[in-house]
Amino acid sequence: MIMEELKSKLEKAFGSAKISSNYSNNLAIELDETQAISMLSYLKNLGYKHLALISCVDWIEDNQFELVYVLSAYMPSDDSYSEKEKLNIIVKTRISREEAKYISIIDIFENAEPYEREIHELFGIHFEGHPRLTPLFLVLKYDKPPFRKDFDTRQFVDDYFGNIPPVE
Amino acid sequence: MDRNQLVKWIKAPAKMGHKYSLHVVYFCTGCGIIEIPPSITARWDAERFGVIPVATPRQANLFLITGYVSTKTLKAIIRTYEQMPEPKYTVGFGSCPINGGMYWDSYNTIKKLDKYIPIDGWIAGCMPRPEAVFVAVTHLWTLIDKEMADGYKRYREKYDYYRANQEKVFGEMEWPPLYGKE
Repeated sequence: MIMEELKSKLEKAFGSAKISSNYSNNLAIELDETQAISMLSYLKNLGYKHLALISCVDWIEDNQFELVYVLSAYMPSDDSYSEKEKLNIIVKTRISREEAKYISIIDIFENAEPYEREIHELFGIHFEGHPRLTPLFLVLKYDKPPFRKDFDTRQFVDDYFGNIPPVE
Repeated sequence: MDRNQLVKWIKAPAKMGHKYSLHVVYFCTGCGIIEIPPSITARWDAERFGVIPVATPRQANLFLITGYVSTKTLKAIIRTYEQMPEPKYTVGFGSCPINGGMYWDSYNTIKKLDKYIPIDGWIAGCMPRPEAVFVAVTHLWTLIDKEMADGYKRYREKYDYYRANQEKVFGEMEWPPLYGKE
């Protein structure tokens, strides 16, 4: 089985990583923020070259942000569909909420650029080495990034949209 | 032609012309636009009512706001509305433009659209069926007959207030005011 092989290989290379799998084709790897980048480039060299998405979770009780990278492999050119292509690898790492700063992975996966821009805009995480962290979606000005858990949307709606007077 | 309406045709031919040739801007605002393809094609055939979608706002006189309005879309809506020639009519389609709908507590969705552009009528529901579009169109005919569909006149009269509300959302606007001060 390719999953057990990969699991033992990763455990050998990264001793501190916590590897688990909830579903038959999912492999979740939790590891330290210092090792996540090297884990991603290691997985890329193993053939998992497709970065499906980067996501972010706000764990406000733990005072941490969790960054989630989802990787998978491309199909080989002879159209054979093996177990390797079915596998989704989820790399999770936690960073401090006060610092809210991490390293950009554009050098490893080029398509990370819009994802990191989006997370920068909605969660306020700064990615070092990103060429343009400019606004992407939002038009209004917010006092804190709107996807953070301590952003009170109802208060914002009452204050902002409630204060615009009706014309008629 | 309906003989009962002959007097109306003689009295105000232009008004009757506007009434039976409503050209809709094909503008996809939100999820409600999914109801427009069945309404304009063979199944419900909006052309029975003289409603036909056109390519550009400069040829249109009916604006259907189909679905939720995000702040970025509002800018496009205002630009489109200001480009349309008069007389022009606006209908809010679905519950989202009325009061925000299911996005009533969203940080980025406009709650009440009639604070920014004038609306002549609303179609409630999430989603309204294509039949509801035709009910709205026939209702709009009565409004045009009674000269109650006067959104574009209100926009001209109270343009300062509308513009002030628009500037509250966007700050400095990229285009000059449509109507100058008289």
